[in-house]
Amino acid sequence: VADPPLEPAHTTPRWVKIFGVVVIVLAVLMVILHLTGNSFGGHAIFDHPPSSSSGTARGVLSW
Amino acid sequence: VTPSLRLFMLTAHILSSVGLLGAIAAFLALSITGLTSQDALTVRGVYLAMDLIARLVIVPLAFAALLTGVVQSLGTPWGLFRHYWVLLKLLLTVFATTVLLLKMELIRYVANRAASTTLSSADLHDARLQLVVHAAGGLLVLLVPVVLSVYKPRGMTRYGARKLREQRVLSQSHVRVRLGLSRPKRTLAPINGQGS
Repeated sequence: VADPPLEPAHTTPRWVKIFGVVVIVLAVLMVILHLTGNSFGGHAIFDHPPSSSSGTARGVLSW
Repeated sequence: VTPSLRLFMLTAHILSSVGLLGAIAAFLALSITGLTSQDALTVRGVYLAMDLIARLVIVPLAFAALLTGVVQSLGTPWGLFRHYWVLLKLLLTVFATTVLLLKMELIRYVANRAASTTLSSADLHDARLQLVVHAAGGLLVLLVPVVLSVYKPRGMTRYGARKLREQRVLSQSHVRVRLGLSRPKRTLAPINGQGS
């Protein structure tokens, strides 16, 4: 007869599941904001370079 | 790992982590000032200071927190991948450090522009707003590891549970050997909880 398991079957705690759901919701929100062009100026920086952009600035703008 | 070395690493980890939070809080205050101030000299000084703080304080502290955290976890029974709270701390710190490194170019760019020209409130508004948002986001993300460190919520990963089982089987076999109930050769073999 086999010994009983030393530990109960592995289960993911509820707080980890809640944390995972929150992270997924935030990630989806960020993607939606980015796709709709409302990601806190992310697109605007790249699409509308200032007139006095230097070489260094160009690297940022084409990021 | 000796107890004194473990204590030293814990102290270094707390100092670097809490210092990182303080530095990002200062960075956030400066970024809000840079976005809202109408005084050109203040704006220039703010973005130059932000560049210095990011390069000389925030980035080194982020790597120090990451390194001391990894060393600390490996030198204690908590391990790095055995408990969910330790694993989440690692993932959050790596994520925050990665985003920080990605934004360093933007910080440098705004500082260079502030140094070379007089920024009006409309100049680089989106970039300056991004700095505020990322500083606030970074602060919020890095508050989570602090909470996890204090509360240490229960929960072992699959890997941690397996390691614990292995350790218990080993310790049980050692007890049996000491009591003369069995020979070590028979009791050390199984590690999956199915042994005799």
